[in-house]
Amino acid sequence: MSAKGIDERSTGISRTRDGDIDAIRTSKLRKEFDGLVAVDDVDLKVGHGLLYGMIGPNGSGKTTIIKMLVGLLKPTSGEASVLGERVPIKANVENIGYMPQELAIYPDLTVHENLELFSELYSMDGETFKTREKELLSIIDLSSRRDSLVSQLSGGMRHRTSLACALVHDPELVFLDEPTVGVDPELRAGFWKYFSDLKSKGKTVILTTHYMDEAVRCDLVGMMRGGRLIAEGTPDALMNEAGTKDLESAFLVFSKKVVK
Amino acid sequence: MRLNRVLAIARKNLRSLKHDRRTAGFLVLMPLFMITIFGYTFGGNVKNISVDIVNLDLAPANESLSLLIVDDIGSHETLSIEHSYQPGQAGDGQVAASRERVKDADIWAAIVFAPDFTEKANAALEALRNGTTVIPSALTIYIDGTNPNIVAAIVNEIQRSVQVVLVTSGTSLVPPIVVVPSLEYGQGAEFIDFFAPGVMGLAAMMVTFMLSIISFVHERSSFTLDRLLSTPVTEGEIVAGYALAFGIVGLIQSVVILSTAVLLFDIVIEGNILLVLLIIFIFGVGNQGLGFLLSSIAKNEFQAIQFMPIVLFPSILLAGVFWPLEAVPELLQPISYFIPLTYSVDGLRSVMIRGWGLDQVWPEVTILVVFAAVMLGLSILGLKRRR
Repeated sequence: MSAKGIDERSTGISRTRDGDIDAIRTSKLRKEFDGLVAVDDVDLKVGHGLLYGMIGPNGSGKTTIIKMLVGLLKPTSGEASVLGERVPIKANVENIGYMPQELAIYPDLTVHENLELFSELYSMDGETFKTREKELLSIIDLSSRRDSLVSQLSGGMRHRTSLACALVHDPELVFLDEPTVGVDPELRAGFWKYFSDLKSKGKTVILTTHYMDEAVRCDLVGMMRGGRLIAEGTPDALMNEAGTKDLESAFLVFSKKVVK
Repeated sequence: MRLNRVLAIARKNLRSLKHDRRTAGFLVLMPLFMITIFGYTFGGNVKNISVDIVNLDLAPANESLSLLIVDDIGSHETLSIEHSYQPGQAGDGQVAASRERVKDADIWAAIVFAPDFTEKANAALEALRNGTTVIPSALTIYIDGTNPNIVAAIVNEIQRSVQVVLVTSGTSLVPPIVVVPSLEYGQGAEFIDFFAPGVMGLAAMMVTFMLSIISFVHERSSFTLDRLLSTPVTEGEIVAGYALAFGIVGLIQSVVILSTAVLLFDIVIEGNILLVLLIIFIFGVGNQGLGFLLSSIAKNEFQAIQFMPIVLFPSILLAGVFWPLEAVPELLQPISYFIPLTYSVDGLRSVMIRGWGLDQVWPEVTILVVFAAVMLGLSILGLKRRR
């Protein structure tokens, strides 16, 4: 990226920090695969510094939305902007982290080599990376396995490595697609603590999850079904509106409404 | 394009190979294996072909030409004489028995000298001196014609031996016409010298293509590609990083092949080794691009492997690796000219045997550069296409 790019980036941040521009905004965002509607005219608005959870069953369009927002898929119609840039973004992609649902790290490299690769792709300088790596490894509790091949790690450890790769460059905005699937309860609690830490540092976290009990910890929850955003709000507001005591039942209530 | 990201991608690929010792070993040992096996198989002449000799020549031992020929054959390695029947021991029955051994495939050939072999040969020589003609003497070879190479080796060896005996026994006449081959290039070159550049090109192609298609299919199927593309790295930087890494692998292999060929087979390199390596590198990069491109059609590693014979067979057979393009059937020759390996091997041979420089091999180099550029360009376009 040229010097000009860096300027654009920093102005992007300052504008967004003013709160004028949302971290994410979509308008009638739509994606069809061979005529099948995966995302059906979704309007999203996520402010800065929020922990936003997308919940919904498999195939409800959560991953497709994220893939459009990080520029891996082209919307069929509608618009989306991320950190004030229309997608597909390249200008301030340095400020975005993405952890795909599939772990998507290199099994034949060590934990350190995976982290280093991503740090290099984000053009981090060596010293900054060193400090950052130490910090991240202690957060994901893998300091002792820094030089182990990922293929020799347990599933949970790979998961943590994958998360660290998405965060290595300390992004403003992170997309985490099912970050806690297959993660044991103890570690899950650790993850959530870290997500709140990120939030408290002013970062925006967008994540998808199956676990309704996790979604309660989000500032905002978007419920997806059949490619549509069927309800959105704080967990309390959603439960109030549905007249239920938990999000799972609330989801079923909203789901039924849509069917009717 | 930023160099640090290109290098990061290249380093990632080389590091993967470093951790995968078996693959890394394979990459070094395979070309070593190829050049050694091919070198010994094709490089040497055919040896130790089993034959019987049935000598019925009745000439006295001190005058017999057949005995001299048999001695000469025995002093060379081409034919291995299983049984040699001397005049007096053998009759027509032995001829039939040895023919039977040929038919049973116990031996490749039975060489029979007729009872009047020396007598007729002397008469023919006498007639030549006097300017008259008589029926020349003949020896008969009953050969198992299953393998044309063996047939040619047997006939050549016996002709050579006859010639030697005629010359050394002072009975030969000077032939009326002498053909004088004067080599412009490749003095002292053996088949291995022709062959080594071909193997280098082939090894570079096999490995860069294979590595590239397999790693890239894996990159797609494990979604690491998605992750890469969500970072600032561009499609061009990914392709360049791959090309750099696997181009280097191709280079290392060429060095292995060259050193083996020089140390083990004593091949001659007339031209500039750096030019040889440059040709290999460009060619390797092109094949890496081809693998990259085909990886987008393959859905998994298994489908990727299916491309290998499709790409490799025409190249192995039609690109002039083992035999010259002139030996390729005319109908197929146009295909040869569409195969990049053809130009790679041709360029390598010109440099290594003819000692040509870039000023003379530039057409081949240009074609390879175009090949590499087109492959890389298409790979980048393919990556940029988003659903």
